[in-house]
Amino acid sequence: MVENRPLLTLLAHLALIAGVAVVAFPVYLAFVASTHPSSAFLSGTLPLVPGDHMGETYSRMLFSGVSTSGAPPLWLMMTNSLIMALSIAIGKIAISILSAFAIVYFRFPCRALAFWMIFVTLMLPVEVRIVPTFEVVANLGMLDTYAGLSIPLIASATATFLFRQFFLTVPDELVEAARIDGAGPMRFFRDMLLPLSRTNMAALFVILFIYGWNQYLWPLLVTTDESQYTIVMGIKRLANVADADPQWNNVMATVILAMVPPVLVVIGMQKLFVKGLVEQEK
Amino acid sequence: MARIDLDSVRKIYPGGVEAVKGVDLPIEDGGFVVLVGPSGCGKSTLLRMIAGLETISDGEIRIGGRRVNDAEPADRDIAMVFQNYALYPHMSVRQNLSYGLRNRRMARDEIARRVEETARILEIDAFLDRRPKALSGGQRQRVAMGRAIVREPAAFLFDEPLSNLDAKLRVQMRGEIKQLQRRLGTTSVYVTHDQLEAMTLADTLVVLNGGRIEQAGRPLDLYRHPDTTFVASFLGSPAMNLLSARVSGGDLRVGSLPLAARLPVPDGPVTAGLRPEAFRLLPDSTSGAFRLDYVEELGSTRLLHGHLEGQRLVCQMGIEHPLADRMTLDLDPEALHVFDAERGRRLDTAWQRAQIRSLA
Repeated sequence: MVENRPLLTLLAHLALIAGVAVVAFPVYLAFVASTHPSSAFLSGTLPLVPGDHMGETYSRMLFSGVSTSGAPPLWLMMTNSLIMALSIAIGKIAISILSAFAIVYFRFPCRALAFWMIFVTLMLPVEVRIVPTFEVVANLGMLDTYAGLSIPLIASATATFLFRQFFLTVPDELVEAARIDGAGPMRFFRDMLLPLSRTNMAALFVILFIYGWNQYLWPLLVTTDESQYTIVMGIKRLANVADADPQWNNVMATVILAMVPPVLVVIGMQKLFVKGLVEQEK
Repeated sequence: MARIDLDSVRKIYPGGVEAVKGVDLPIEDGGFVVLVGPSGCGKSTLLRMIAGLETISDGEIRIGGRRVNDAEPADRDIAMVFQNYALYPHMSVRQNLSYGLRNRRMARDEIARRVEETARILEIDAFLDRRPKALSGGQRQRVAMGRAIVREPAAFLFDEPLSNLDAKLRVQMRGEIKQLQRRLGTTSVYVTHDQLEAMTLADTLVVLNGGRIEQAGRPLDLYRHPDTTFVASFLGSPAMNLLSARVSGGDLRVGSLPLAARLPVPDGPVTAGLRPEAFRLLPDSTSGAFRLDYVEELGSTRLLHGHLEGQRLVCQMGIEHPLADRMTLDLDPEALHVFDAERGRRLDTAWQRAQIRSLA
């Protein structure tokens, strides 16, 4: 719809600006708080312009951490988070695209049953199956390992379903043309389905990366060693100190830094992400 | 290049639907066979069975004398052109053409040579590096053809390749396919529901109905001497007039109107077939049996729609002929086709009568 009404345009912009302000202002405040000494935040009147403690706070948080609240340096926690989020996102995509491929293109006994079993796991998120999952992970000796952090979160019904829906829209003739051109199932998967799913994979990657990055409950359970802590846990540990005021500047610096990787992923994948959600290359 | 033989080929789908009910069809090396019929007649199923995309329930298919019932599509030495082209959307035209060759591990320079040559034949060299998305319908059609040609297969299989094109392009591509097939001399099987396409392209025309071959032969033979009312009404546009008639003592009458005499046909009810262009109508305002309902102008000719003894009748005539509300039929009895009224089989042909006469 193309309309040329200045008043409407103005109204639309005002609404958008208000929306952005509501979302962005707290983030800005967090940033401001991280650049002042911790006392500034506790004084009751919050400064609205950045202070001069930025370099000091950030370098302290990044490289030495706060041992009193049991928080290792942020770079370590961020690396852990990154490894976990990447493993989860890539693992989910790999497993889902393969299971969707099997379900859509192969006739095997109980195919429908297999599909519905995968689908039903949607009703069993981590929180519901957390005790038995912990038991399994513990028995396999995967506590305090990257494998223990990521593998239990890798299976994904949603992604499988998404890929299945996409594969169903691939015309049969394309499969047949590839068969006549001498492409076996795996070659068809590699040469046709993978490149055609590129945008879907990108969109999923963004969503799943953020999902993995934001994991809190599961890392909290399976990690006891400081070297395995993830950043989202770190925020909580910093804010939750006994017998003292929380060091809000430290907390806010951690929050800001924790936001950076997901933001970078979204910005980097923006084009593909939108494409993957909107159109399908066919 | 190879011949293709179908021996009592049958296709029964799980669930018991019999789509192809025993088809015998020898296809000569270098022949252009067109399978034509209404939707659901089994023509596409038959083609897909030759391609190996459908299993063969019974019977045998041989390509170049080799039984291929259990061979994979890729091992049958055939290439197929699909109705929606089925180009690989993420590959350039060049990659589309070479994909099948690369999968066969052909030498790189040989692939390049073949792609170049195919592109030249089809005049698609200018957009070898474009994606299918950036091509027009006609260009995509050419690329689809190119993907078949580049393989230099024993046979081309066409599955309604022109039905997604507009009318003008369809006529043009029809001519090009015909010329190309002549030049390459590759055995071709072509499926269409368009009788005009079928007539113009075929060396051998096969009319299918309900999973069986209704009639096979040269297009003009089928047009002139249809074996059944089905073939008679399917080929030709406008379709042949089929009138209920009765023969007694060799005289054929539609209602009370005599159309032909001394036919070598037993007495009883028959179906009389009359091509719209095989007779003329003369104005006769008093005793004309044909009552004109309306006229369609086609430019050089016109279609006269009307009734004869209560049955619909269409006549195609030049525009120079005068019109009237009532008209009489001016008809050469040899133009008349006589079919069994019940089963629709041909009872007698003008052609046979002419043969008999020339022998006498």
